[in-house]
Amino acid sequence: MKKIILKINGELRSVYVEPEEILLDVLREKLGVKSPKCGCDRGDCGACAVLLNGRSVRSCLVLAIETDGQEIVTVEGISKDGLNKVQNTMLDKNAFQCGFCAPGMIISTTELIEKNPHPNLEEIKEALSGNLCRCTGYLPILESVQEATKEEHHE
Amino acid sequence: MAILNDFKYYKPQEINETLQLLSEFKENAKILAGGTDLIVHLKEDLVKTENVIDIKGITQLNKIDISKDNIFLGSGVTFTEIIESPELKDKLPILWEASKKVASIGIRNRATVVGNICSAVPSLDSAPALLVYDAEIVVQSKNGKRNISIHNWFTGPKQTILKPEELVLGINIPITIHAGVYEKLGRYRGEDLAQAGIGIFVDEIKNYRFAYCAVGPVPKRMKKLEDFLQGKEISDKLLEEAAELIPNEISPISDIRSSKEYRIHMMKVMFKRGLQESVVILKGGRS
Amino acid sequence: MNDLKYVGKPSVRIDGKEKISGATRYTDDLEFGPNLHFAAIVESTEAHAKILSIDTTEAENFPGVVSVFTGKDFPFKFGLYMKDRYIFAMDTVHYVGQQIAAIVARDIKTAQKAAKLVKVEYKPLPAIFDQMEALKEDAIIIHPDLGEYPHVPWFFPQANTNIAHWRKTRRGSITKGFEDADYILEDTYTVPRYAHCPLETHVAVGLCDLSGRLTIWASSQSPHTQRNLFAESLAPLGFTHKDVRVIAPPIGGGFGGKAGVSMEILAAAIATKVRGNPVKIIWSREQEFYNTSQRLGVIAKLKIGVKNDGTFTAIDHKLYWDTGASAEYGANVVNAIGLSAIGPYRFHNISIDSVCLYTNLPPCGAYRGFGYSEFMFGLESHINRIADHLKIDAVEIRKINAIKENDTLAYGVPMNPNGLIECIDKVTKEIEWGKEVKSENPNIKIGKGFSLIWKAPAMPPNASSAAFLKFSEDGSINILVSGMDMGQGYLTVMAQIAAEILAVPITKIRTENPDTDRNPYEWQTVASHVTWSCGNAVRKAAIDAREQIFDVVSRTLYLPKDMLFLEDEKVKCKTKPSFELPLKDFVINGIQAEDSTFKGGPIMGHGIFMPEYTSADSDPETSQGGHPNVHYTVGAAAITLEVDKDSGEMHIRKAVEAIDVGKAINPSLVKGQITGGLLQGLATVLYEDMRFDDKGKMLNPNFTDYKIPTAKDVPDEIVPIIVEVPQPDGPFGARGVGEHTMIPAAPMIANAVNDALGIRIKSMPITKEKVALENLKKKEKINV
Repeated sequence: MKKIILKINGELRSVYVEPEEILLDVLREKLGVKSPKCGCDRGDCGACAVLLNGRSVRSCLVLAIETDGQEIVTVEGISKDGLNKVQNTMLDKNAFQCGFCAPGMIISTTELIEKNPHPNLEEIKEALSGNLCRCTGYLPILESVQEATKEEHHE
Repeated sequence: MAILNDFKYYKPQEINETLQLLSEFKENAKILAGGTDLIVHLKEDLVKTENVIDIKGITQLNKIDISKDNIFLGSGVTFTEIIESPELKDKLPILWEASKKVASIGIRNRATVVGNICSAVPSLDSAPALLVYDAEIVVQSKNGKRNISIHNWFTGPKQTILKPEELVLGINIPITIHAGVYEKLGRYRGEDLAQAGIGIFVDEIKNYRFAYCAVGPVPKRMKKLEDFLQGKEISDKLLEEAAELIPNEISPISDIRSSKEYRIHMMKVMFKRGLQESVVILKGGRS
Repeated sequence: MNDLKYVGKPSVRIDGKEKISGATRYTDDLEFGPNLHFAAIVESTEAHAKILSIDTTEAENFPGVVSVFTGKDFPFKFGLYMKDRYIFAMDTVHYVGQQIAAIVARDIKTAQKAAKLVKVEYKPLPAIFDQMEALKEDAIIIHPDLGEYPHVPWFFPQANTNIAHWRKTRRGSITKGFEDADYILEDTYTVPRYAHCPLETHVAVGLCDLSGRLTIWASSQSPHTQRNLFAESLAPLGFTHKDVRVIAPPIGGGFGGKAGVSMEILAAAIATKVRGNPVKIIWSREQEFYNTSQRLGVIAKLKIGVKNDGTFTAIDHKLYWDTGASAEYGANVVNAIGLSAIGPYRFHNISIDSVCLYTNLPPCGAYRGFGYSEFMFGLESHINRIADHLKIDAVEIRKINAIKENDTLAYGVPMNPNGLIECIDKVTKEIEWGKEVKSENPNIKIGKGFSLIWKAPAMPPNASSAAFLKFSEDGSINILVSGMDMGQGYLTVMAQIAAEILAVPITKIRTENPDTDRNPYEWQTVASHVTWSCGNAVRKAAIDAREQIFDVVSRTLYLPKDMLFLEDEKVKCKTKPSFELPLKDFVINGIQAEDSTFKGGPIMGHGIFMPEYTSADSDPETSQGGHPNVHYTVGAAAITLEVDKDSGEMHIRKAVEAIDVGKAINPSLVKGQITGGLLQGLATVLYEDMRFDDKGKMLNPNFTDYKIPTAKDVPDEIVPIIVEVPQPDGPFGARGVGEHTMIPAAPMIANAVNDALGIRIKSMPITKEKVALENLKKKEKINV
């Protein structure tokens, strides 16, 4: 067991891990961070996405021990002070159904907007195409991101 | 899913420290960079190892060095870092395009080019670009450094010439003025493993270079095709003739992802379309 | 109807915020404390074999292992409609992946490590992987005890064969019908198996406490049905319904795969043997593919006769279904189609044979569409081919034969009111049917495809729903129901129905997923029936509460009861405009009368709904005489499809789908169903199929090779169209829509590919590879 220290959603947390423990499992089982989900366990579905030092990663493909001293953001952190603009648009448009993919989708969206505040539709599709959703047909999610990030023209 | 087998984890900060560990453990160690292959293999019990050496702490390996006539990509360089570099987009357009076609962002943020060639799966997206660029892999062990041509790198499906005690430092790619594309066949627009892939390189003096992935046991250059086209002006008729050479250059199999027949057919289609597009790019028709 | 304030409005879903903020707790997110145990399952590596021995010694001795269980610990049969399964394999395994043993440990890693130490010795038996092989007279018999399995009265298993059920429907005379025909087309269509692929895999936690109370938390579409089946199959251990409780947290997608009972019974059974400790079983993605029920594959032999004017004269539809090693749920899919395989068409001469066949592949069951997507692929392809032959427009021939209200259905009952023609016309207009579209890219050919939609809920004749409704002090409401919100928005719709009747905004209504101890009965959340069925129960519960409100107001304040009405959370009176009494003033604590006593008390409504006109009793040779289905939902859809003539790549520019939902309680959620369901349908035709090797092992039990679409694989545009011809017995006229949305996808693609390239593909999926190679073959033929 090794003690690692992480900054999770703005808070410094320490936890003991074995080298073979997976970040997703440690977040969920040892740190109580439940929004990242296990959908496929091999990096295909994106339900476990978290921001690691600002970049989205598949937490099912990261060893917890690798992240010692690093920063992790999940949807719990993003929603701490209420829903943001994209989340509110998603809410208004009933963009999600079962909601299991929502945390991963929101992580990918957050990363996208950080780099590119006004993405076009192709860029949004590129950013979200690593997050599988079986319910929605994606269009309401894509529309929400498009609407929440469009440039506001002031006249 | 838990990884069932225990291992020790090392995160060296120096190359020498890593080489020391490798020489000590030999076959019984795995290098961890992005982990997007290794962790899956560990979970699914396809790889067993007692030692995992994480090289992300070695600063020298995380750099991209661009000099006048050479580009060095360290073994920690991720696909995202390639995609985000305007200089690499300009100087290595085929590798840049291939990088964009690897999996999805969440994978590309971790996965490295060097990891890709070390996996040596027949479908690896970065290989056609590296083959047409005549890239060299720089490897080091306690006994010294050596450069390995990409053409000698792949020794079989999932096999490379790399020795257990050797560490890949990075890839050297000579800079040449050229245009080109990487055409990839997948089952849909979303992320997929290549069922066939072709890297296409053209330059001003009508040098043509082609390399494939996923249609043979290892990625390879297509020399007969190159020789046939050498110095020639591309026309529709010539393309049709050249395309007929492709079945002799490749040895695809039928598997769950695609049939042999479709792979051959699509290699011809991608070759014709990709070469036409490359010529247009070369003439400044598309940046 | 009066102006509606809440029903018919695109309300934000009541569980939206918790899903978007990451607050939703699915089953695997729940905490069970330090005593939580895990079970790892040992599965069969053989498709068909005698188990000679199971050696669990090494596993039992593995440090940390708590217990090991095998079939002999639970010699109990179970099944939804036919009891043809054991909890663990007994002496024979029937498919690769079948559960053989469970290893329980305090951590999952120990359990999984020990599971690898269980040694199973098999004697392989010949296996059947193709339903047509299973039908052969000399085929090996997969279930030698078939004649003894208990089953529902509307199944007709044939002992000493592999036929688990054969639904025959006969009406008129097909002999005469085909004699009257000017043209007859006969062909075979093939549909493989598919996987549901909810993003959340199955998970169940069982806890049998030391007092003997058994609680199961499960990602489930069927909490009450599961409780019933757990109690029934565990009855030999002394459990009764009172002792068994199912709690169903929000689920991460179902699509039929979490209906009935599959792996949940493992958690229930194992919990009874490790009393006092919760036991969790969670399926890996691979297990999710193998062991949750798959969609049945079908080979459909279809023959239709038609007059030169386009009028259909007869249909002979023979469907051979692969239900895998168990028919406990799959046979009801087969049954449903045996009653409905005429499609939304008027036929007077009908013969349907829907045959359910056992094979040595994993068991099949409910999947969104319940067999209709499968047979409609052939039927709607066939109709286009007939139209082409007769040189009648493909839409026109459908309109000529479209079923209308009071036309007779295949089983002899009149068709319900419906807006089929309106759907057809709206889709035709929106897709600009008949207008040719050309691409600027010479490699791209563009085709249009059309298909109708048709489906009835497949329910036992006595399936029912129930609702409780109670107020809190501030006039807010809790509705207790036992349907599952698996994303379709059921809880929101129930709130809208109650809101409308009680004049309380939906922001003041809470409805949650059920706990069978606390919430009243619901059969299952399947068959696209909960909006209709449970909606009726909630409507009745709200009316019941309203009656109680009016009663107490009337008798305490001496106002005429029939003059009272509800508005803006207040009781008002038509004859006394100055009167208004806020609900919050009395729904818990009653109304103070003149003499200072209080009248009334907590307002609590209850409502139940059972369609009292249905019956499954009919002549087994003809299916005439009963009333098996409550109603059909119909619709139409079309696409504009780009096809790359060389690569075969297909891209949908525009898709239009119109469905007659009776009344859209929430149009935003209906549109969500259309968009999502259509893409799921498109995926079954363009990308997906389950592949098995010649040993019955699945070749693609992962998302790497079972390709479900991504955000890049969506149509450029989906236009959902809502048509509303009210269902007479639906709440506010509503009928179901969830499953129907994916039904037209496959034939639409087949028809559009034909329109674009002139090739007809009769087997699903229609992948780009198949299109490219077919097109190549066609070109070669022309060149020869």
